[in-house]
Amino acid sequence: MEPNQAASDQTGPGSAETRSHFKVTRFIMEAGVKLGLHSIPVATACTIYHSFFTATVAPGPYDPYLVAMAALYLAGKVEEQHLRTRDIINVSHRYLHPKSDPLELDSHFWELRDSIVQCELLMLRVLGFRVSFRHPHKYLLHYLLSLRRWMNRHSWERIPVSAAAWALLRDSYHGGLCVRYPPQHVAVAVLDLALHCYGVEVPVHAQAQKPWWQVFSEDLSKAQIDQIVLDLIQIYTLDAEIS
Amino acid sequence: MGEALCVNALKPGSCCCCSERKGSQRSQSTQSVEVESVMELPDLRRVPHPMDSLQSQWFQTLQLQKSGRKRLRSNSDPSQEMDFVKRFQWQRQGLPFGTASSYLNLEKLCEGSYSTVYKGISRINGHLVALKVISLETEEGVPFTAIREASLLKSLKHANIVLLHDIIQTKDTLTLVFEYMHTDLAQYMAQHPGGLHGHNVMLFMFQLLRGLAYIHQHHILHRDLKPQNLLISCLGELKLADFGLARAKSIPSQTYSSEVVTLWYRPPDVLLGATDYSSDLDIWGAGCILVEMLQGQPVFPAVTGTLEQLEKIWAVLGVPTEDTWPGLSKLPNYKPERVVSSRPQRLRMICARLGRVPGAEDLALKMLKAFPRERVSAQDALVHNFFSALPSRLHQLCDAQSLFTVPGVRLQPEICDLFAPYQKGHRQASSSKFW
Repeated sequence: MEPNQAASDQTGPGSAETRSHFKVTRFIMEAGVKLGLHSIPVATACTIYHSFFTATVAPGPYDPYLVAMAALYLAGKVEEQHLRTRDIINVSHRYLHPKSDPLELDSHFWELRDSIVQCELLMLRVLGFRVSFRHPHKYLLHYLLSLRRWMNRHSWERIPVSAAAWALLRDSYHGGLCVRYPPQHVAVAVLDLALHCYGVEVPVHAQAQKPWWQVFSEDLSKAQIDQIVLDLIQIYTLDAEIS
Repeated sequence: MGEALCVNALKPGSCCCCSERKGSQRSQSTQSVEVESVMELPDLRRVPHPMDSLQSQWFQTLQLQKSGRKRLRSNSDPSQEMDFVKRFQWQRQGLPFGTASSYLNLEKLCEGSYSTVYKGISRINGHLVALKVISLETEEGVPFTAIREASLLKSLKHANIVLLHDIIQTKDTLTLVFEYMHTDLAQYMAQHPGGLHGHNVMLFMFQLLRGLAYIHQHHILHRDLKPQNLLISCLGELKLADFGLARAKSIPSQTYSSEVVTLWYRPPDVLLGATDYSSDLDIWGAGCILVEMLQGQPVFPAVTGTLEQLEKIWAVLGVPTEDTWPGLSKLPNYKPERVVSSRPQRLRMICARLGRVPGAEDLALKMLKAFPRERVSAQDALVHNFFSALPSRLHQLCDAQSLFTVPGVRLQPEICDLFAPYQKGHRQASSSKFW
C-alpha cells in the first residue's frame, strides 16, 4: 500500500484536492441526512469515498459527486439500510441544483442510474471488496461510558463533553482520518480534544501511573494523539476558509 | 491482487471481461492436458474428445480416485505441485488471479437465491474450486448479500471457515471463487440416515463451534446456520459457508432485519420478533444441528410457520414466563393467550440417542435455552465435557490449522458404511450437490 501513502503526501492540507473532498463529503453527510440514513451508514459512505480516492492515483477521471452517490448506495447495502438509486439521484439533484426543477424520468435519468451502478462495481473492485469497516463510534461509546463513571457526576452533566466528542467524530469524516488511523485511536483523539475544549481533566490524571487513554488503547502514544488532533483542527481551518 | 485491481481500474477500457472469450477458447485446448497432469489420469492422456462430452465421465473417475488418494484432492502435496509448476510454466504465465480465464467451469452444482454454483478448476494452481456466479442486474447493482459475503470473508481466515480464493468481475457477472468442498452436512446426514456415529458428531460439533467462536470473536454473526451451509471435506473437515446473511455486529442499539434464519434453526426470541439478537442466535442453530446429527431428524421441524415452530419448542422446553425469561412480554409477537400450556417433555424423549452419548444432552440443553442470554457461548461450549474424549491439543491449534493435523483425529466409519460400503461409493458419485 505504498502508493497510498505517497498519494496522501501529495495532497497536503489546504490543497485543491483536500478542499474538493471536504465539499463532497459534506454533500455525502447532508444527502445522508435527507435520505434518512443512520450515522453508521453515513460514516461507511464517507470511509468508502475516502478509501476510493486514497487507492486511486490523483487526478483520476472520476467525478467525485458520482463517486459520492455510489458510496452512499454501497454503504446502504453494506450496513443493511437499503437506499433506492432514484432517491439518491433526486436528493443529489436537489443538493447540486437547488433552484432547478426535479429531474424528469427520461433517458438521462436512467443513464445516471446506470452510472451509479457501474461506479459501485468499480469501487468494489478498486477497494478489493473490503467495504466492511470498524468505525470509531462503538469505541467512543464505550470510552464515554467508562469515563462518565470515573468523573464527577455533576460536572459531567454540566459540561457537554460527550456531545462535543460525537460532533468532532462526525466532522472528522470531512478528511481522510478514517482511512489513516485505527478507529480506537480516532475515538481517543476526539475524546481528548473534547476534554481539552472544555478544560476538563480526567480525575487523578497527574498521579496515575499511565495516561487514561492507554487504558483504552495500549499502542497509542501522546504524539499519535496530537497528530490526529492536528488533522482534526485542519478540517476546521478548511471549513473556515471554504465557508 | 489489490494493486493489480487498481491498475485495471485506472484503465476503464481494459476490463478483464474483454479477455474472457479468448481465454475460454484457449482453455478448451489446454483443458485435458492440465487436468490430467494434476489428477494423474493417464487413461485420458491420448483422448482427443471435445471436453463437453467428457465432463461427466471424467468426474466419476475423479470421485473414485479420490477415495484412494485423498491427499491429491486436499492439494497438500508440494512435490507434485512443483512438478506441475515446472511442466506447465507457460500456462501459469499471464494467468493472474481475478480473471475469468484462470478458471474452468466443470459442472453446475446448485442454484441459490441469487447465484449459481459451479464446480471448477483453477488453471493457476490446479486446485478444485467452487465458482459462485452472481448475475449483476443493472438496476440494483451488486446484490448486497454478495457484497457482505465477500467483504466479511476477506477478513476471515480460519480452518473452519470456507476460504474465499478470488473474486472475478466481468461485465455482467460477479464470481466468488471458493475452495471446493466435497459435500455438506445435509447430504452427509442424508447418506447416513438414522443418526451419525457419536465420535463423528463430536468432531463435527467441535469444528462448528470452533468456527463460530472465531467469527463471534470477530464480531460477526452467521445468522443462517443450517446443515446445508456446513460444508464437509472427505477428511471430515467442517467449514461454515454462505455468509450472505452474515453481518458484522456493530452497535448493539442497532436493530437488525427480522427475517434471517431458516425456521427450523430459528431461536424462540427471533420467532417472537426480537431484533436485538447477538451471538446467541448462532448458538441456538448449532444446538439444533447437534441434536439433528445424533438423531438423524431435525429437532423442531415445523411445517406451517412461526406459531407451530414455537409450539414445538415450548413442547420440549416448557412455556417460558416473565420469571424464566425477563423481558419476554415486551417482545413484539408475544401473545400469551395463544400459547397452550403443557408439561414439557424432556429433550431425551424426542432424541433417544442423546442419552447414549456422554455429555450430549447437557450440551444440547445449554445451547437450547429459550432465554437468549442463558445460552452457552461458543468458546465455553468448546470446553464442555462432551468433547472430553478429544485430545487436549485441539484447544491449542492456531486459527488456520485443521483438527485433522493432530495425530489420531479422524472420522470413524458410519454404521451404514460398514454394512454397505459399495453403496456409499455409488451414492457419492451420483449425488449432484458438491461444492
